[in-house]
Amino acid sequence: MNKLWIVTAETYLRQVKTWSFLILILSPFIFFGISAGAGYFAGSSTAGQDKIAVISQQQPLRQQVIRQNKGDVNQKIITQKAAEKAVKAEDLAGYLILSQSGQRVKAVYHSTRNMDDTLKKQVQASLSQYQQALNLNEAKLTPQQTQALQQQPIFQQQLKEKQKDDSLAKLLSFWIMAFLAYMILTTYASITAQEIASEKGTKIMEIIFSSTTARKYFFGKILGVLLVILTQIGIYLGGGVLCYLLAQRLTFSREFLADNHTLISAVLHNLVNINLLYLLLGVVLFTVLSAFSGALVAKAEDASKAATPAVYLNMIAFFSTFPFQGNTHSIVVTILSYVPFFSSYFMPFRMINYTVSPVEITISLLILVVTIIGSAAYIGSIYEGLMLQTDDSSFFKRFKRGLSYRKQRS
Amino acid sequence: MLSIQHLSKKFGDLQALDDISFDVVPGEITGLIGQNGAGKSTTFHSILNFLDYEGQIRWHGQPVDETVFDTIGYLPEERSLMPKLTIEQQIVYLARLKDKKAKDIRPQIDPWLKRFEVKGQKSDKIKSLSKGNKQKVQLICTMIHNPKLLILDEPFSGLDPVNMDILKQAILGAKDQGAAIIFSSHDMANVESVCDNLVMLRNGQAILNGTLDDVRNQFGKNQIHVTGPWSVQELADLPHVTKVLTPRPRQFVLHLDDPGAGPAIFETLTQGKYIEAFVQQAPTLDEIFRMEVGAGHE
Repeated sequence: MNKLWIVTAETYLRQVKTWSFLILILSPFIFFGISAGAGYFAGSSTAGQDKIAVISQQQPLRQQVIRQNKGDVNQKIITQKAAEKAVKAEDLAGYLILSQSGQRVKAVYHSTRNMDDTLKKQVQASLSQYQQALNLNEAKLTPQQTQALQQQPIFQQQLKEKQKDDSLAKLLSFWIMAFLAYMILTTYASITAQEIASEKGTKIMEIIFSSTTARKYFFGKILGVLLVILTQIGIYLGGGVLCYLLAQRLTFSREFLADNHTLISAVLHNLVNINLLYLLLGVVLFTVLSAFSGALVAKAEDASKAATPAVYLNMIAFFSTFPFQGNTHSIVVTILSYVPFFSSYFMPFRMINYTVSPVEITISLLILVVTIIGSAAYIGSIYEGLMLQTDDSSFFKRFKRGLSYRKQRS
Repeated sequence: MLSIQHLSKKFGDLQALDDISFDVVPGEITGLIGQNGAGKSTTFHSILNFLDYEGQIRWHGQPVDETVFDTIGYLPEERSLMPKLTIEQQIVYLARLKDKKAKDIRPQIDPWLKRFEVKGQKSDKIKSLSKGNKQKVQLICTMIHNPKLLILDEPFSGLDPVNMDILKQAILGAKDQGAAIIFSSHDMANVESVCDNLVMLRNGQAILNGTLDDVRNQFGKNQIHVTGPWSVQELADLPHVTKVLTPRPRQFVLHLDDPGAGPAIFETLTQGKYIEAFVQQAPTLDEIFRMEVGAGHE
């Protein structure tokens, strides 16, 4: 196997076999599981409490109300005594006692709180229908008169095509994309920098550099970390699909998904397109920068500080999108959508909010890709010097020395 | 053969190496000795191409680059392994970087651990090992891929006499298999016991270079070790004796200004009778080292 892939595999396996990676991967699912579980149990435990009982000596009247409100009526309770007991035990919202005095229907609702407005309207409609049937029967009308009385007014809606309002979808898409990028970049900037810094100045680097070139080793490290990131994104995508399928089966989330189907589709469309490429390329560039800052620490013990430059730059790029939320056409947004490190936030920001020409996207992507290749190649060329030097001077001196290091092979 | 020609290296104003030339021949062991800062590690780093340098370093006529890395075994001065790996993972990983297949290396691990008397199992984490055992594992990592060029920076440092002997046997075994071996050491007894050739560095310059016997004989057989009932004064009064040392009671070391005076002193001391010891020899490597390093300070 090529030595590059040996280093890649070693870096990848060393990262994914840790407890911290497992916790990192599982935490969103644990969070989702706890939320779903809590929602389910809360939903099932309060389901009975929202129902009512219908008590009546007149079975046709009772059946009329039950038929039209099946989901809201506990049909098992048929006596007032049982209903009172159930209300007391908070297993029932209340009970309705229906009676018919002569040709008049009477309904009395017993509860500790008002009847739900929707249910109240439905019950009243059911009772009105029953009452109307009684009235018509009592009036002894001819069929023509009956038909004449059943005439209903015509109500039509002439709706113009609604202006497509997708501002919420845009806002959601941007925040999901930005937070995803921010979280992944922050997490992996630290992991990469520490991975590299922990080897700084150690003699194991001398052994490794007597076995393979520093450039191959550096690229192997970067590829290993990128594979870890792809693993995480892959697990999240797969897990996300599973969660979505699960959510469609659960009562409490099914309605939400159905109600917001258009919004969810729009957000997914905004995320799973070229924005994802920007996210991935941004991760690659920040990973390269993190590796560089990891190689610049004074000694392995300073590994925890190594990620600081990459983390701060990521924060600056992330937070600099805030002032432009309401001003997406600003020239600053346009310029920053071409600047590497910033373009991973600003170009998706532009693409989500308005159409960007394919030429602009291509130029921005080209700048990003060239920056990644150029910086990786340059850092790869000075990596040996950076890792083997154990100069304990100030950060800026080390930085300068690192930048000026050019190995001249005889 | 490793050929080093006119090797020079400067760090800023410091001349770390100054026109060093020597060869390391397959099947022979070359000792590189010198004080701290004399340029031993810089020489090794130059051989391994970690540094830019002036001069020429060739392994079998080729520059030392990635194409020959797989034939090199390198043990750095300070020991360092990956603490989170197991012994087996560490050995296999480094061997794979030397282009060896894991399936070929794994069966060799137990015999090597046994040979080096490493305490523990190959499934033990590196971080759980004692310092001595870590050092042995690192030596195994250096040698398990049967390198043709062995570069050992202070391989004996920190080892007890028993483990030193184990290491010596391993180095001699590699020599028998035709490896070219260069190592540095502060312990002249170790150098003397295993080396065929010697390069002594002082302030970046090679002040001595040759076979062990040649180097010692350069200084002449100007020492006589005797054991007997004489007084220091009696021995000091002998002709051509410049100094008398008494390392132990009744044991003396006479320093001569003329090695040719040996037979006459022998006649004088023995007078045809038995004496317990009389040996005329060149200075030991340790003495040469002290003399040469001392000369550098004068």
